[in-house]
Amino acid sequence: MSAGATDAAVAGEGRDAVGVKLVSHFATVEQQKHAAVLGMWAWLLTELLLFAGLFLTALVLRIIHPEAVQAAARHLKFWIGATNTVVLIGSSLTMSGAIQLSRLGWPRGMVRFMLATAALGTLFLLLKGYEYYADYQEHMMPFLSDRPYELKDSPPSRLFVNLYYVATSLHGLHLMTGITILLVMTWQASRPGFLSLHQNRIEIFGLYWHFIDLIWILAFPTLYVLNR
Amino acid sequence: MTSGTITDGPALRDPHTPDSRIGHGADYLHAEHTLRSWFFTTDHKRIALLYLASITAFFVIGAVTAGLVRLALVVPDGQVFTNDTYNKLFTIHGVVMVWFFLIPSIPATFGNFLIPLMIGARDLAFPKLNLASWYVFMTGALFTLASVVLGGVDTGWTFYTPLSTAFSNTWVVPALIGVTIVGFSSILTGLNFVVTIHTMRAPGMTWFRLPIFVWTHYATSLIFLLATPVITVALVLLIAERAFHIGVFDPAYGGDPVLFQHLFWFYSHPAVYIMVLPGMGVISEIVPAFAQKKLFGYKFVAYAAIGLASVTFFVWGHHMFVNGQSDFASVAFSVLSFAVAVPSAVKVYNWTATIHKGSLKLDTPMLYAMGYIGLFVLGGLTGLYLATLAINQHVHATYFVVAHFHYIMVGGTVLAFLGGLHFWWPKITGRMYIEAWGRISAFLIFIGFNVTFFPQFILGYLGMPRRYHVYPPEFQFLNILSSAGSTILAVGYIFPMVYLVYSIWFGKRAPANPWDARGFEWTVASPPPAHNFVTEPVAPKVPYDYPIQAKETGRQHS
Repeated sequence: MSAGATDAAVAGEGRDAVGVKLVSHFATVEQQKHAAVLGMWAWLLTELLLFAGLFLTALVLRIIHPEAVQAAARHLKFWIGATNTVVLIGSSLTMSGAIQLSRLGWPRGMVRFMLATAALGTLFLLLKGYEYYADYQEHMMPFLSDRPYELKDSPPSRLFVNLYYVATSLHGLHLMTGITILLVMTWQASRPGFLSLHQNRIEIFGLYWHFIDLIWILAFPTLYVLNR
Repeated sequence: MTSGTITDGPALRDPHTPDSRIGHGADYLHAEHTLRSWFFTTDHKRIALLYLASITAFFVIGAVTAGLVRLALVVPDGQVFTNDTYNKLFTIHGVVMVWFFLIPSIPATFGNFLIPLMIGARDLAFPKLNLASWYVFMTGALFTLASVVLGGVDTGWTFYTPLSTAFSNTWVVPALIGVTIVGFSSILTGLNFVVTIHTMRAPGMTWFRLPIFVWTHYATSLIFLLATPVITVALVLLIAERAFHIGVFDPAYGGDPVLFQHLFWFYSHPAVYIMVLPGMGVISEIVPAFAQKKLFGYKFVAYAAIGLASVTFFVWGHHMFVNGQSDFASVAFSVLSFAVAVPSAVKVYNWTATIHKGSLKLDTPMLYAMGYIGLFVLGGLTGLYLATLAINQHVHATYFVVAHFHYIMVGGTVLAFLGGLHFWWPKITGRMYIEAWGRISAFLIFIGFNVTFFPQFILGYLGMPRRYHVYPPEFQFLNILSSAGSTILAVGYIFPMVYLVYSIWFGKRAPANPWDARGFEWTVASPPPAHNFVTEPVAPKVPYDYPIQAKETGRQHS
C-alpha cells in the first residue's frame, strides 16, 4: 500500500461497509432481511414441488417397470452426470465463499468468487450439452421423428427417457437463469457501495444457487444411479 | 402529487373526483391521479383495484358464455349451436371462470386490499412483486383469452389427455401457455401473503389475534405455494408432448394418460379450496359483525382452515374412481374425501353458533353470507354423495357433478365475493351503496342460483351427462327451468354492477366504521390513507371483541 495511506484506510484495506438499505414499508432492517429470506425459501419450496412431480413419476416408473427403466438408464452417461455433480457442488462452495466475503465487506474477492461460480455453472451446461449430443448419437432421443429410437420395443423406457429430458432441461433452464442473475449481480457488485446497500441480495441469491445444486443432487440418483 | 387540501381550490379539481378528498389529506384513491400512478403503483390497495377491474371483466366473459351454454340447452336436439361451437363455448366458460376469475377473485382483490390493513402493516412484504404478479396475471389471461377467442379450444377447462394432446385440433398450446403463466401469478401472490403474515404483523398482533380472514388466506397461500407448481409441471409436460412429441401422457409415445389426471387433480382438487377458503374468511368476518357477537370457537375456525388446506392434498384420487385406478386407492381416496367434511362442518357450525342469539342485522353483506352458508351446506352434502364409491359410479361425469361443483365453487366463492364486496365497499371507495338495492340483488342471486343449479342435481341423477348438448327430450323441462334460473341469476349479477358503480360518484360518504365492526381495517379512514396507518395500531386482547360477549352479560347491541 502507498506510504500516504491513513490509519483508517489501512484498517479497512479493500473493504466496504456492509449493510442493507431500509425500504420504507418495513419497520427495521431485521424485519426486511427476515422477509427476504422467508420469501426466497417459500419460492424454493415451490421449486422443489415443481421437480418433485417429475422425480416422483420417474421413481414410480422404476418400481412398476424396473427392467425397461434400467435398460434406458444404462444409456445415460453416468460419468458425465457424476462429474457434473462434482462441478455443481464446487460451484456451491465458491458461492459460499462469495457470501462469506460479502459479509466481511470484501467486494473484490467476492466478485472473483462469483465469477468462478458462474464459470462452474457454465461448465456444467457445456458438459450437459455434450451429454445430449452423445444421446443424439446413440439414438436415445425418441421425440425426433427422423432418428429411430434405440429401445423402440420398450414403451416404458421411452416414458423414462422423456422424463429425463424434461427434468434435466428444466434444471438446465434454472441454471441458465441463475448464471444470468449472477452475472448481472456481479456487474452491479463490482461498483463501489453495493455491499453497504444490498449485502442481503448476495445472501438471498446464494440460497437460490445452493438450491439448484440440491435439485441436481436429487436428480442424479433418481435418474442415473438407482438400480443401475 | 400529494394535493388534497381545500387550498387547492375547486378550479384545480377534476369534477368527477368525489368531495371526500377535500380537507381529508390524501387517501390512497386520490393521493395521485395520473394513469402512471395506477399502472405502476406499488400500493397494495391500488393493486387490489387493478385486480378487481380485471377479474370483473373476466367474470362478464365467463358469464356471457355460460348464458350461451344455457341457451343451447333449452332445446334437446342441439340445433342452436354446432357441436364444435358448443364445445368451445363451455371451454371458454370453464377456463375463464376457473383460472381467471374464481382462483384469483378473493385473494387477489380483498386479500391484497385487506391483509396489510388487518395485520397493521404498511404494505405487503414485496410491493413490486405484487405489482409484477398483476402483470403476469394479465399477460397469461389475455394470452389464453386471445387463443380461445381467435381459434377456440374444445377440451374443457381440464385439458384431459389424450384429447388435448392427440385429437383436439384447436389452439391448445397457446391456451396452456397462458394458464401456465397465470399459475406464476398465484405463486407470487401466495408467497407475498405468507411472508407478510409471518413478518409484518403489528406489535401485539399474535397469531391467535389474527382475523380469520387472514388465517384462511394463510392456508390458501400454502395451497398456492405447494399445489400450483405441480399443475405448472403438468401443463409444461402437456405443451412438451403436443409441441415437441416428448411423450409423457400419450401411450403412442410410451406415456400414460392417467398420469395427467394425477398431476392435474393434485393441483385442481386443492384449487377448490383456493376458491372456497378465502370465501370462508370473508364469511367469518361478516357473520360476527352482523350478529354483533364474538366468533364462536375462534381457534377451531382457524385450525379448520389449516386442516382443510392439509386434507385437500390427499383426496385428488376421487376424481379417478372410474378411470381404472386400483380398488384400494379408490377406497382410500373415498375415506379421505369424507374427512374433508369435518373441518368444513366445524366452520358451518361455528357460524351458526355465532348467529345464535346474536343481535342480528340483516343487511346486504349478511344476506349474502347466509345465502353462502345455505349453498355451501348443500354443495358440501352432495360432495359426500360423490365421495361414496357406489354412488359415484352412477353420477360420475353427469350434471350431478356439475351442480355439486357449482354449489361449492360459485355458491362458495361468488356469494362470498359479493358479500365481501358489499361489506368492504365503504372502506374501499369511501361511499355507501343503496341498501335496498343490495338486498334485492342478494335475494335475486340466491333464488336465481337455486333455480339454475338445483334442477341439475335431478338431471344428473336421471343420467344426463355433462358436456353434451343433445339430450333425450324428457330432460327438456328441467333444462328449461335451469336456463330460466340463469336469467334470474344474470339480472342479480347486473344489479350490483349498476348500483355499486353509481355509488362511487353519487353514494353517501361512508364513515370509518359503518357496520360497528371490529378489526384494524375499520380503525382507519374510509378510504384508507396511502400508507394505511397514521399511528401504529395496537391489537386488542381478543379478536372479534364485539359487544355481546356471552349471553349471561345481557349486554345488547343497540
